[in-house]
Amino acid sequence: METSETQDARGPKKLVLYVAGETPKSLAAIKNLEKICTENLPGKYVIEVVDLKKSPQLAREHNIVAIPTLVRELPTPIRKIIGDLSNSEKVLVNLQVSENE
Amino acid sequence: MSNGRPDLSKDELYRRLEEAEDIIRAIREGEIDALVIRKSSVTDEVFTLDGNDSYRSFMEAMDIGAAAFDSHGNLLYCNGALCALLDVSKPSVADSGFWNAFDDVNRAIVNNALRAAREQKTTCEVQISVSGHLRRLLLNSDALQLGVNDAVAVTFTDITDRIQAERSQEAERTALAILASAAEAVIVTDIDGIVSHANAAAMTLASCDPVGLSFGEAFGLEFSAATGLMQGDDFIALAVAGQSVQGVEALAPRGRISRDVLVSAAPLRVAENQTKGAVATLVDLSARKSAERQQLLLMRELDHRVKNTLALVVSISNRTASTEDTIEGFRESFSGRIHALAATHNILADRSWSSIRLSELVAAELAPFVENYHRRFSIDGSDVEILPRAAVPLGLIIHELATNAAKYGALTSESGTIAVQLDSEPEGESRLIRWIERGGPEVSPPTRRGFGHTVIERSLKYSPAGGAQIDFAPSGVTCSIRIPAEDVVATSPVS
Repeated sequence: METSETQDARGPKKLVLYVAGETPKSLAAIKNLEKICTENLPGKYVIEVVDLKKSPQLAREHNIVAIPTLVRELPTPIRKIIGDLSNSEKVLVNLQVSENE
Repeated sequence: MSNGRPDLSKDELYRRLEEAEDIIRAIREGEIDALVIRKSSVTDEVFTLDGNDSYRSFMEAMDIGAAAFDSHGNLLYCNGALCALLDVSKPSVADSGFWNAFDDVNRAIVNNALRAAREQKTTCEVQISVSGHLRRLLLNSDALQLGVNDAVAVTFTDITDRIQAERSQEAERTALAILASAAEAVIVTDIDGIVSHANAAAMTLASCDPVGLSFGEAFGLEFSAATGLMQGDDFIALAVAGQSVQGVEALAPRGRISRDVLVSAAPLRVAENQTKGAVATLVDLSARKSAERQQLLLMRELDHRVKNTLALVVSISNRTASTEDTIEGFRESFSGRIHALAATHNILADRSWSSIRLSELVAAELAPFVENYHRRFSIDGSDVEILPRAAVPLGLIIHELATNAAKYGALTSESGTIAVQLDSEPEGESRLIRWIERGGPEVSPPTRRGFGHTVIERSLKYSPAGGAQIDFAPSGVTCSIRIPAEDVVATSPVS
């Protein structure tokens, strides 16, 4: 476990952003997340965008209810940030605080 | 396990509670716009809170460029018309393709319009460069509610062509105004030589409205130098073919008065290598022609005068020589007479040979003889303007009288005076001028008649109404000079 965590810490971690097609909040969340990652966390994360409009069954994996929702799987525990990510401070706190856990 | 769900740890339960609270907060704060609804144990469905995507279909059906932005200025949708307008591909438009279409200045204008639209409808103009050509777009922005989202709808209308059309209309109006206010006649024809515009000056050279007629029909110019081979329409044809014709003299006979004109024609080029017709100008030469005629007249008149004067000089020379006994006497009398002639000529030349004032003439002729002119000389009655024909002989008569007065008469003594009186009314066909000497030595008639005497009596006899009679009274010489009334043009009080 420790080995895998160390490995994970070296490479970029995955963030999964759940959106619903091109709703305004989905588009805003994608844009905001890209901006936060580029400006504040370069190289630390790779973003996977999951369109639940196309594949609603994928919501079950992370038990998604509201869209948009950002899921950070690693490091554990799993973290969910709900909303359009327009409050970049809140997003950063969630992502960075977790790193220190 | 009794309810079929796995047992959850306390931490997991807290986490789920926290998540549920976060979802409620996010809904309340409008941060989400879609929900996943579990329909059965295997299928889920996503419901968007903005109703549906019909606004996109609506925007796509619009001919004008349209886009929707969220309240933070993020592009939500950009229709195909706008992509085409901005020359940006549909896939790249969301990926900053939209914003890259603008330079910094115009990007700021769009951003300001988006911000302002949250409060009120906003209209402004932006510019973009598409394939090197500047396009001007009219931007209208207004707030819009998309489901739970505040948004801004923006339309872009390409007004480049409209502005261009307005400018060319304005340019045409200006061109027409210039045409109308040109002093010279300006005529515009189409490529077939049919007159399409003619200004006011051009109208006066035609017998009727020239618009719609061929140039030749409308003005019927006559080119005397071209012996009928060249007609007005030929000029236009040359100009339409791209060759300018300049400064050909012609007669424009169709106006109220026939006028001499200088014809020029040039191709009317609206764009490079595109000739739309011809522009012809007809410069009125009447004034110049009249000036030329006047000059010719003056040259002839001058020639005539010079010949007359030379004949007079020869005659004076011969007659003076025949009446003078010595070379010295000849030189004195001859030069005195030539100077008298020159004095009259000088004044007439100053007046462009129009007329000469009697008082001026007398003063000029007496100047060589009298130092204190005003004490020794007076002129009474009205002053008159005398035409050149009478002025030259009158000048000679005054000279001879003055010479006589200086040699034998009133000007030989300090107390002698001369008065010139002009009768206020004509005497028949003549105006009478009297020369009266007083205060000089006693006068006795001359023993022989010299040339001076002849000059006095004959000089004005070119007309029956002219002449002079000298009387050698003992108290002083008097002379009655009759000037033909037709050579006296005006009278005025002596100044």
